[in-house]
Amino acid sequence: MGFSFEYLFQGFAIALTWQNLFWAAVGCFIGTLVGVLPGIGPVSGIAILLPLTTVLPPTSAIIMMASIYYGAMYGGSTTAIVVNIPGEASSVPTAMDGYQLAKQGKAGPALAVAAIGSFIAGTISVIALTLFAPTLAQFAVVFGPPEYFALMFMGLSLVISLSGRALLKGIISTALGLTAALVGQDPLTGAERLTFGSVTLTVGMDFIAIIVGLFAITEVMVNVEQRITTISEVEVKNWMPTWDDLKPCWGTFLRSSAVGFLLGLLPGCAPSVTSFVAYDLEKRVSKHPELFGNGAMEGVAAPETSNNATSTAGFVPLFSFGLPTAPSMAVLLGGLMMYGLQPGPMLFIQNPDFVWAVIASMYIGNVMLLVLNLPLIGVWVRIVRIPFYILGPMIVFCALVGTYSVRFQTFDIWVMLIFGVIGYFMRKLGFPIAPMVLASVLAQMLETALGQSLLISQGSPLVFFTRPIAAVFMVLAFLSIGRGIWAQVKAKAPEVVTDDAEY
Amino acid sequence: MKTLRAADIIVGCGIALFGIFIIYASTLIRGGAEHRLPPETFPMVVGFLLLICGSALALKSWRLRGADLAIKWPDGEGARTILITLASVACYIVLLNPLGLPLASFLYIAFSIWYLKRSKWLLAIAISLITAAISYYLFIRLLGLSFPAGFLFE
Repeated sequence: MGFSFEYLFQGFAIALTWQNLFWAAVGCFIGTLVGVLPGIGPVSGIAILLPLTTVLPPTSAIIMMASIYYGAMYGGSTTAIVVNIPGEASSVPTAMDGYQLAKQGKAGPALAVAAIGSFIAGTISVIALTLFAPTLAQFAVVFGPPEYFALMFMGLSLVISLSGRALLKGIISTALGLTAALVGQDPLTGAERLTFGSVTLTVGMDFIAIIVGLFAITEVMVNVEQRITTISEVEVKNWMPTWDDLKPCWGTFLRSSAVGFLLGLLPGCAPSVTSFVAYDLEKRVSKHPELFGNGAMEGVAAPETSNNATSTAGFVPLFSFGLPTAPSMAVLLGGLMMYGLQPGPMLFIQNPDFVWAVIASMYIGNVMLLVLNLPLIGVWVRIVRIPFYILGPMIVFCALVGTYSVRFQTFDIWVMLIFGVIGYFMRKLGFPIAPMVLASVLAQMLETALGQSLLISQGSPLVFFTRPIAAVFMVLAFLSIGRGIWAQVKAKAPEVVTDDAEY
Repeated sequence: MKTLRAADIIVGCGIALFGIFIIYASTLIRGGAEHRLPPETFPMVVGFLLLICGSALALKSWRLRGADLAIKWPDGEGARTILITLASVACYIVLLNPLGLPLASFLYIAFSIWYLKRSKWLLAIAISLITAAISYYLFIRLLGLSFPAGFLFE
């Protein structure tokens, strides 16, 4: 089942119902709010709010979650430009030029350029998503359990290899995520594992609780430690950019959209990576590279455009293969699974109404974000000033309510708190968090695919190398691990994570 | 654990021991032996992975010579703030069932805002009252979620 306008129009018909429009608008608003508020990133925001959407129908819930995600990617630019505090790692390059522009009295135009760039990137990427995802899904229909196992194995190994010099820590992080997911009942036989006779542990650790703990609670602990109180001193008077502001940015919008989208298709290439690549590219092609870092409008346009393109690109492997390429996508995958939906090629066949409605809603969401964000720039700037002593307890409240509402078990909230503490120490000791998140989400699918593959092959692991597609994925996985080991051997410094996705 | 090297040695050893524990726990798993992938296989593999990688991390860090990195641990006040924050969240969880979501949320938020900003006790009460009201009317009454309402509302 490839792309057809009929499906897209059907998707628009569903996305344009007043309920879905309402939830998309709510998602865009909350997403921007999440991005704007210091101390809470897009992954934490989605993780906290995901369980609360259980009262909504699946389509409305995922439409809202997707809107929160790309809204948050936009919102991060506000704190970066106005107060020089990037809401997430992908906005670090934005802060370098954005804050300089703000000091020159151009905060408004810089925020507007970020919004326009996000809109252009979002629209270009969602068109590409519309065309690519169903085509790739068609290709993936022939996938059996060995191909899926190999694909997930490759995804995990790519994310681990992106831990840079901290390869061992990346593997340990993955293994810890797998261990947490193994507690409970074996998906194939129903046998109890690692429960030590405890009835409470039999139900297993919910990955939502793990994710909320790792992101939201850890974030609160880090901020409490730093005693952040954010007060903006920059006034934003006029947000309308002039032609001179926009003129150098048109090429940047297009180039950064392409960079962000293409790199965003690769597992592990989070917006935090692509925004730096796009920024660097613009600096190289610019006629005035000396302006970068001192207030170049392209320096704001490039990262903001590319991070939105990347966030949309992540939906291609998620919808086509069921493969999350970043922690935020892993959380969304968790959301899909929470609703009993199985992302992957069959999603387009079994749930076309759902998947096309979500894609159609992204077109609408992009317009909403532009309409919502340009006139509300002044409001967002005021929200930046909410102090952490109010925000922190509210984050904990939302995290607790969100985690509890998945299964209504107090055990889950304890898991959340414990993983919050684990996440804090992981960040302090330079362990990447992304592999743990991916592992906890993928563990059950990975094991089920492995079990089914061995059943097909009558116990022979060679099945992963005799089937061509699976073999390609396995070779790529081993190459990425080999590359990581090579970097490890050459390293002569303590293990530190060079970049954690979306941090 | 002031430097990353020292921390990596200690954490690596801890992870290796945890790996041994997981391997041991895997041997206790019963049932499903007739399957191609018995239930103990995956935990066993993960246990060995932890053992090998933990040992490798400790060994690699132990052999490391040259530049080392200091870990930015919180100062005394920062550590106390974190501990009290965690303790207050733990109390929030403990009180959730006996007191119910609205009252437990009120107490937690009022205490947390007051603790993080002593001068703002009136604001703390106002925000926590609003949160308690939202938690009751939105989550329990309107959405009908199965949160404990507590003795005040039952």
